[in-house]
Order: sequence, then structure tokens, then C-alpha cells
Amino acid sequence: MVEYRRCLLGAALTILALVTSPSVLAAKTVIGSKAFTESVILGELAAQLTKEAGYDVEHRRQLGGTRVLWSALVRGDIQCYPEYTGTLRTEIFASQSVRNDDELRALLARESMWTSKPLGFNNTYVLGMRRDRAAELGITRMSQLASHPTLRFGFSNEFMQRGDGWPGIRQHYGLPQQNVVGLSHDLAYRGLAARSLDLTDLYSTDAEIVHYDLTTLVDDREFFPAYDAILVCREDVASAVRESLDRLGGRIDEMTMTKMNARAALDREPESQIAASFLREELGLASDVKVESRSARIWRRTREHLAMVGISLGLAMLVAVPLGIVAFHRRGIGRVVFAIADILQTMPALALLVFLIPWLGIGYAPAIMALFLYSVLPILRNTHTGLADIPRDLRESAEALGLPRIARLRYVELPLAARSMLAGIRTAAVINVGTATLGALIGAGGYGQPILTGIRLDDTKLILEGAVPAAVLALLVQWLFGWIERRWVTAK
Amino acid sequence: MSCAIAFEHVSHRYLHAVAVDDVSLRVEAGETVALIGPSGCGKSTLLKLAAGLAWPQQGSVIVTDRKLAPDNVLEIRRRIGYVIQSGGLFPHLSAVDNVTLAARFLRKERQWIADRVAELAELVQLPRDALDRYPSNLSGGQRQRVSLMRALMLDPAVLLLDEPLGALDPMVRHGLQEDLRRLFKRLGKSVLLVTHDMAEAAFFSQNIALMREGKVVQRGSYRDLIDAPAEQFVSDFVKAQRGLHAEALDG
Repeated sequence: MVEYRRCLLGAALTILALVTSPSVLAAKTVIGSKAFTESVILGELAAQLTKEAGYDVEHRRQLGGTRVLWSALVRGDIQCYPEYTGTLRTEIFASQSVRNDDELRALLARESMWTSKPLGFNNTYVLGMRRDRAAELGITRMSQLASHPTLRFGFSNEFMQRGDGWPGIRQHYGLPQQNVVGLSHDLAYRGLAARSLDLTDLYSTDAEIVHYDLTTLVDDREFFPAYDAILVCREDVASAVRESLDRLGGRIDEMTMTKMNARAALDREPESQIAASFLREELGLASDVKVESRSARIWRRTREHLAMVGISLGLAMLVAVPLGIVAFHRRGIGRVVFAIADILQTMPALALLVFLIPWLGIGYAPAIMALFLYSVLPILRNTHTGLADIPRDLRESAEALGLPRIARLRYVELPLAARSMLAGIRTAAVINVGTATLGALIGAGGYGQPILTGIRLDDTKLILEGAVPAAVLALLVQWLFGWIERRWVTAK
Repeated sequence: MSCAIAFEHVSHRYLHAVAVDDVSLRVEAGETVALIGPSGCGKSTLLKLAAGLAWPQQGSVIVTDRKLAPDNVLEIRRRIGYVIQSGGLFPHLSAVDNVTLAARFLRKERQWIADRVAELAELVQLPRDALDRYPSNLSGGQRQRVSLMRALMLDPAVLLLDEPLGALDPMVRHGLQEDLRRLFKRLGKSVLLVTHDMAEAAFFSQNIALMREGKVVQRGSYRDLIDAPAEQFVSDFVKAQRGLHAEALDG
């Protein structure tokens, strides 16, 4: 009994240590960026300029798509992010039919948002094909696509949905193609190269256009609006920061942006370094960039990952164990509880994360909440099973001793169910280690971060930098629980 | 206290079957009563009713002069020692922790507990080193001795024993039978003992209650059951129990 108590105490201390480890976010200016290279570079520029203005800054890179960034901005989880006027007009204010950028600025002001001066380039959407394929079919303009109904289109997932994306183009140009798939923007290039796709959406400043020898089709019926790059900030951002950010106004032309994109995407130069050299050469700022060593990076991500897994698991234990006990003693409640937990378990992780953003914002909170929800079912079910599997004569022997219900639970039933409960916690922990890699999508960091960046940059080494520690951590968790079970729970 | 256990017109039904049907039975203080009958006759259920592990739909159960009710059941259970066929020892606790669990919960003094354990180990003749072992490392006989110690720990007035020797091999069983009978005499406890073996019932008590289909058909000594059977079933049951022995001797 004493050992059992010590086990509980140990678990409680571990959780406490994990809960207190992530650095509490101080009042910092947080810059967000979307999940593609150009946005990360622009975010990095904004972050370094904010720092230059004397403010503490954090850059939460590659958070996701427009919707995620916009709602994070509205909630105040981030203060600024790079955006394109066309995207705001057609995605965020689609219902208001905004005619020009002045109207857009007024609309944004009504939402308590501030926009920087245009940065100097128009990164419009274009449709691109392999040069040889386009020549073979004689296609140079978008209107010609209508007479090639069997072409295979692959669009970035956001483009598939956007008003200024595929649905609009299809209508505007009357396109008949049926073979249309959604995929990640960076993978689309590889699809084109491998000839498994004929056409994809591109950003006009993408470095890959030259690299993969692609040709872009003329928008001959003028479907795409202008996508002037700007920085959108909340109005409550300090005026010194705004002034600093406005120094970028008109300084980046299309050529400059394309070159910076090429340095990141093709030469694998860190975005922070690219931004620093631009600021040094163009604005004469002596921006120093500290590049984290690999071991420091991995250690930071390990802490982030452990914090997500540990906190969510600890909370799940606190909730699921009592719930499992109640579900066992009250069958009616049990059925309801299991029905809800089952539904939660079948929800796709990515969908769950995105649902949680309007409510919990971005970062640790929604990631931990999602992992918590996934951990509940295995622990709940195993607690219930562990209790239900206690032989009736043992249960009655405990009753016959004259022990009240709470004492029976504590001294007899829970210890007897401990092995099953621990197995449930172990399952939840291992699932969590894997699922937590998705936390990087919503700014919670962890091992998912290099995996995401690695996919974006087609960099296997970077992917492994996240995948290998995640696998090792999963094995460690397995081993740790195996050890706890042997040490404390094994029936003597 | 004149009466240790009294069942007064007690009936208990499970979902689809009647287990105990209008039974009235008394166990006087210091008396040992053996409950016997074919399996499924309701004898174990009767024992559970006495320990408050099941509740009668009709009638009342009185233990140590108090009517068993939800608000006094915990207290009354502490005046009862309950031993079952499998021993019911908790596998995650050592023998001594099994024995002392209830006493520790009730915050008995440490010295009192140690003295009591020593006294009981001697009484049930359990080797001292067996006390630190876990149930899986004890022999069948040792397990039942530990279970008995656990039942006796709080010095109960009443012992409820549900086939306590049923799972033991014949040699061990014989030894324990002797020990148990001596122990009952010495402690003067009131005992209600369930068995399906007529010889064992007769060995422990002059006071046998034979049950069939939820009812007590006859109460009396072994002699009474043979000489004055209340109905044909009593003779059949006694004969069936003697059968193999008799045939082996005659043959």
C-alpha cells in the first residue's frame, strides 16, 4: 500500500515538473507567418524590425493558412503577420465586394487593424505547367485550358477552397477538368517534376518556377486580383513598431523577393539569415541573428514536446480516472461518457486543432486540449476495464471487512485495477508523442516543427531532425511505463 | 447477547431464480451451525445475507441482536469474520498486510496490531516467515490460515465460513479441520459454516441445517437426519453422501 502511494506521488511530481517547465509567455510582440517560405521570410523581416524598435519579439512561423492566421490576429494571439491585399479582399472580406485597396484599408480599420505600406511587390497567383508539357499542347493562356479536359490539376489545399482559387477560375473560364486534387503547395512542384500533375497554382515570386523550368499561363480574362504584399497588425501594436515596419514600404520588388525565396527554398539558407542580410544591405541595419546550434534546437523542441505530452496526459489522468470509476459504478452515466469519448476519438486531429483555434487561439492551449481529449478514452476505458475485471469474491472480501466504499476503492480496487489503468495511460502517452508533432501546425512547437519545415523545403535531414527524436521519445515512454509496471504494479 | 444470527422469514431472489425462500434460522451465541445442501440450494446466499453482501427482499436478518440495515452494515461487518473457499486474499498485499488492512484503516495502535498478528499466527499455526509473503507464494492451506487470521483480526463475535476447506487437498483439509474445530471451541465464537460435505458438517457440529431449493428442510444432528428424516430428500442426500464410502467398504 505504501509503495502504491509512493507511485502516485512520483507521478504527481513528474506532472508538476512538466507543467511548470514551459516558459510562461511574457508580454511579447508575436509575429505570425503562413506555412510557405515567402511568408516565413517576411515574418522574419517583421520580427527583426520589431526587435530593432526595441521590443521583445517572437516569430511563430508557418502557423497554417489564411483562416488560422486571421483568427489568431483577431484573438490577439499574434500582433502582426504578412498578408496580400488580394487575399484579404477575396478571402476575409469576400461578402463586402471590396473594389480597391483604399476601401480595404478602411474595412481593416473598422476591424481595429492597421496595415503597413505596400512592401513593393505583387505576388499574384498564377497557374504553371512544365515548359515542355505546355509547348507540347500549345498552351500559353488560361482560356486555352478549356479545350484540354483530361489535364490533371493539383492545387494547394487552400487554393482548392478559396473564392479567388479553383472554384472561381472554373466558373470564370468555364473549365471542364474533373481530375483535380488538393495537396501541399511544396509537394505540387514535385508532382509536376514527376509528371504526375500537369498544372498547379503558383505564387509569381516562387523561386521554384525557374528551378523546375515551369511556364506560367497568361490570365487573359483577368481573373486574379492584385496581391500586393503588406503587413497586417492589430491597432494596439506600439507606434514605434509600426514605424519600424513601415521602413519596408516599397523596398522589396518582385525580383528581390524571388531571389530571397530562392535562397531559402533552393539553397537552404535559414530564413532569419536571409532577412538579416536584406535588412543590413537595404536598410543598413546591423541585425544580428543567433542561429541555434542543433543540440540546442533539439533540446528546446524536446521541452516543448514533453510539455505538450506531459500536461495533456496529466490532465487526462486527473479527469479520466475518476470518470472511469464513476462510469463503472453508475452504468447509465458510463454509457453516456463512453459515447462522448468514442466520438472525440474518431475526430481527425487536424480538424480538432482547427476547431479549437477560435476558442483557445493558437499555441500550447489548443494543442494540449486536443491531446488531452485524445488521451481521455484509453485511460477511461482501461480504468473501467480494470475495475470490472476484479473478481467478485475479492470485491466481496473487501466489503466483508467493513471497509467503506472509498477505502475499498483506494486500498483494494484501484491497486488491483492499476495494471490495466497504467496500460491505458501508456497507450495514451505513446499516441500523444506522435500526435503532438501536429502541434507545430498551430504554433505549439515541438518535434513537428522541423518536420513541417523539412516538408516545405524538401529537406530530408530536417524531417529526420524531428522524426527521429519523436520515435526515440515514443520508445522511451514505452520503456518508462514498462519499468513503472515492473517496479510497482506487477501482481506479486 | 443470546442470539448471534437470526434469519426471520428471509427471502432473496436473483433476477430469474429464487435463492432463499422464506428461511427462518437462528445461530445462538457460541454455537456452530453447519449449513449443508446440494449446490445451488441457497446456502452461500444465506451467508451473504448475514454479511450484508446481499439484501433480503422479504424478512429481516439480525446479527448480534441488531437488524442489518444500510446504515449499520459497516459496523456490523466489523463484528463478523468472513472466509470464502478461495480465501479472497488481495494479491497485491502481503499476508500480514491482508490480515491487518481493516485494523490499520481503523487506526488501531501499531503495537496492538503487532501483538494481535503474533497471537493469531500462533492460533492458526502459521509459520512467521509466511506472513511476509504474497498470496501467490503461499500454499493453499496457508492461504486459508491467513484468510482466517484476517477474519479474526478484529475479534468478531460471529464467523461466517463459506466452504473454507473446499479447495484443499484431502490431507491438508483433514489437518485444518482438526485445527478449526479446536479453535472454535477455544474462542467460543458463533459460527455459521457452509459445506457440501456431510462428514465435515457432522465433524464440526451437532447442529446441521439441510437446505434444498432455498428452504431449510431439516435441522438436527447427523443422527437425527439418519434416524428421523423429515422427507425423502433428506434420506437421499445422506445416502448419496455415504454412498461411495459404504460401497467401497461393502465391496
